Amino acid sequence: MAVKIGRLKLNNPVMTASGTFGYGEEYADYIDLNKLGAIVVKGLSLKPRLGNPPPRIMETTGGMLNAVGLQNIGVDAFIEEKMPFLRQYDAKIVANIYGETYDDYKKVARKLSSTKGLHALEVNISCPNVKNGGLSFGSDPEVAARVTRIVKDETPLPVIVKLTPNVTDIAAIAEAVEKAGADAVSLINTLTGMSVDLKTRRPHLRNITGGLSGPAIKPVALRMVWQVAQRVSIPVIGLGGIMTAEDALEFLIVGARAVQIGTANFVNPQATMEIVEGIRNYLVVNKIKDINEIIGTFKIPLS
Amino acid sequence: MSGAFKKVHMAGNIYIGEIIGNEEIQENCFLMRIKIPPRFEKPLPGQFVMIRIAGLNDPFLSRPISIYSFSSGKQSSLLELLYRVVGKGTQIMAGLIEGSQVEINGPLGNGFHTKSLKKNIVMISGGMGIAPLSLFLETLSRKSSSSSSVAIMYPGFQSLSAAVGLEKVRKVCRDVNVCTDDGTLGKKGFVTQIFQKDMKNFTPENTSIFACGPKEMLKALAKLLNKSKFVCQVSLEERMACGTGACMGCAVAVKDQRGGFAYKRVCADGPVFNLADIIWEDKDQ
Repeated sequence: MAVKIGRLKLNNPVMTASGTFGYGEEYADYIDLNKLGAIVVKGLSLKPRLGNPPPRIMETTGGMLNAVGLQNIGVDAFIEEKMPFLRQYDAKIVANIYGETYDDYKKVARKLSSTKGLHALEVNISCPNVKNGGLSFGSDPEVAARVTRIVKDETPLPVIVKLTPNVTDIAAIAEAVEKAGADAVSLINTLTGMSVDLKTRRPHLRNITGGLSGPAIKPVALRMVWQVAQRVSIPVIGLGGIMTAEDALEFLIVGARAVQIGTANFVNPQATMEIVEGIRNYLVVNKIKDINEIIGTFKIPLS
Repeated sequence: MSGAFKKVHMAGNIYIGEIIGNEEIQENCFLMRIKIPPRFEKPLPGQFVMIRIAGLNDPFLSRPISIYSFSSGKQSSLLELLYRVVGKGTQIMAGLIEGSQVEINGPLGNGFHTKSLKKNIVMISGGMGIAPLSLFLETLSRKSSSSSSVAIMYPGFQSLSAAVGLEKVRKVCRDVNVCTDDGTLGKKGFVTQIFQKDMKNFTPENTSIFACGPKEMLKALAKLLNKSKFVCQVSLEERMACGTGACMGCAVAVKDQRGGFAYKRVCADGPVFNLADIIWEDKDQ
């Protein structure tokens, strides 16, 4: 079941998605955290962030919208208060980081570089760049590449760049961050969406728009992972609406080296364990000895 | 492996429950009785569960419902939820028949703080807010050595047709002062207005106040108690995705000690908060 994301070796390909798993402790009563491939923690910023005013979430058909606004305790408190708990486990620990400026990314990456028990950084480039009119870092290949280089220059840890699907050509962004030195890419982050309250004719979310996640986005995520996997040679981590082992296997087949489980954790706190077991069972039933034998084995019909 | 420091996994608290009753006890108000494995931890008053229909993915998210009643048994325990049909999730819950299975995650959240209770216990509820307070009263009456309870309850409802749970609270309260917005049952008026008239009978030194109800009621209560020294604990309601503290969806602005505020999670930091600490204004408007 072991897979390699560059230098990062996971006991199995099931990771948790940032922002859906807190700092791990929220799920410690529900599952054995040792059995996860990796835990990706809630996005960390240089300073603690308040987050957006409520309402922050809204259920939609087959998913949910969220505009939490990256509320987090900040990188220093994370290292001090959360890492001692997390480093007790066998699962690899990945810190998801984000910034509003290039300098923010640089400083957060530097602080985490020497943190004991931390195995990789995942760089969220979906957030708005305040110095660039609020345009997301991830929507421009050059900007995305620059963030990647800055983080790479600051840390010896493997760097995973998390891509936003809210772009015209996600594979072009993936190629740009690969050239800039990214060790892997993960995709997709949430799709921007909205929903309206018919009684008040107001948005359900205080922020008006929010990120759509859940099974509703899975086909879109799968398509993008497939496209990106063909265009880059670094490992691709697939996520977006994975609820079951079957969903996860689809991502692996189209080329994902590992998967992340996000919104499914909200609905079923034991989802990750069921997915690990389900993948294992699939391998046994199909007499496949090594999970790597199915990665990227997608068969395209001849035209 | 981190060797000797390896953390041992604890048992999770998700249970399959079987519905043994789901009765419409008032218009749009249902009492769901669920047989649940005895492992289900005895809930504290104010705690809630996340409930979903086993195997159903629409509605997508589980629903947070406060615990109305609980009795433990050797073979199975009995969990009771009192809920009103307000949307898609509760609509589907209302259609469940005996024998249906539900997934229950809980008990979740923190209950009411019951240390250093004052001589008078005043409970103020609006609508379904009676549910967690009813469990609280039941627990108090079981604990209290004297047979006569000291609690005084102010349950408010929109109308007679929405009044629920009164029989049970009457058994364990010294006084139950019912009111309805339209006067069809008890006194006419909002529960905060009715309580205001009685306020002179209580002092902050001898009274603990507990409340649960719609946001507008709690806001009015906060205003009423604003200048006073009464301490009031409230149980809040909010849309939730996970119920366990991970999604940060159920945010409420709560004052901090430095004169600022922070967004707290209703599920994991609450649902019980000190009323005076809650900031009701929308910060950005």
